[in-house]
Amino acid sequence: MSMSEGPELSETEALAAEHALGVLSAAQRAEAELRMARDPAFAVEVEAWRARLAPMSEEGAAVPPPPGGWARIARLLPANEDGAVTGAVRFWRRSTLGAFALAAASLAVVAMQAGRPPTVIQAPAQGELLNASLMSQGDGVQPLFVAAYDPARRALIITSLMPAGTDVAHVHELWLIHGQDKPKPLGFVEPGKSKMIAMPDGMTGKMAEGSALAISIEAPGGSTNPDGPTGPIAAMGKLARL
Amino acid sequence: MRCGQAASPAPTARSRLRQLYDATSAKLFGVCLRILRDREESEDVLQDVYLTIWRRADRFDGARAGVMTWISTIARNRAIDRLRARGPMAYAEQVDDLEISDGATPADALLEAADDRGRLQHCLGELDERTAKVIRTAFFEGVTYEALAARMDTPLGTVKSWIRRGLARL
Repeated sequence: MSMSEGPELSETEALAAEHALGVLSAAQRAEAELRMARDPAFAVEVEAWRARLAPMSEEGAAVPPPPGGWARIARLLPANEDGAVTGAVRFWRRSTLGAFALAAASLAVVAMQAGRPPTVIQAPAQGELLNASLMSQGDGVQPLFVAAYDPARRALIITSLMPAGTDVAHVHELWLIHGQDKPKPLGFVEPGKSKMIAMPDGMTGKMAEGSALAISIEAPGGSTNPDGPTGPIAAMGKLARL
Repeated sequence: MRCGQAASPAPTARSRLRQLYDATSAKLFGVCLRILRDREESEDVLQDVYLTIWRRADRFDGARAGVMTWISTIARNRAIDRLRARGPMAYAEQVDDLEISDGATPADALLEAADDRGRLQHCLGELDERTAKVIRTAFFEGVTYEALAARMDTPLGTVKSWIRRGLARL
């Protein structure tokens, strides 16, 4: 292979990206869809690529559909069924209000199941999980990381929404900030990757609503100061119940 | 209350779908039309897309995608499935007779409007022109590697490696 400069994608990453881009043949597409259903880690990867490519959609022109389009759809909706949507409150709230309530619960569950072939994914009851969207600081606020903490498993899942291979000269260090305590380092998060962090006993109490998670940009090896970031804070968010 | 059902204490899911349709159908119709180049088929797909949103709204995962990303992905997927039904070489020839052009606003201006768009645009801008163009074409038209290769009169493996290398740098 004459791969010159630049990062390379693993075979799995490449497949996920190609599926998201839409260049696969019918048979390959079907295979990729099947793999998404069976392999949550792959599904997460495809979703991440879709999100990464989605901004391109904004470029495309809008074309008003013919009149009567809604009427056709409305006729096909099941009469009397507002309930198809019981589990979909989240979607409708988000779609109407445009609220930025990120719900990381299902992501956490999917990520935890990675590596096992899951058939039924048992979601923990809502309200148990704590979630945080770590938003970029400064202009153009957007989520750069999403995190979910499951007290039952004492596990924090964090997912980087940064493209894989971003800024290889630095590392992204995760911090927990609880009340007036000094920030506690929780390890590094690789761009484009998900990571599960088991919380040591002394820390579980600090994983509470209102505590903040932050990501700092550090030189390889991490912050030289044990009591806080050395580099700038790239993203921050508070833990909250869904 | 925009929809005028003052009697209802909360908007019904149906009225919310209607609002979503009003707000997004032109965008999604554009997505389908660019891929299918056929109004009638695009109308069918569009209808299917909103019915799919209705059925699958409970699977929406806000952590993984915004509403717009989620629904445009459904639209792209449905349209591409339809296109694939025509065979791998659909649109191996460039099609120029489409009545839609680029956005009403210059793409660059739009791209600067949002930070994430700006970031992707910046990354695409760093790619060489050919790679950026082939990735855009693939995204907007949903054509296969085979069709792209035929269009560009370039071996399949070469097109594939351009795209893969380009994707790796996004």
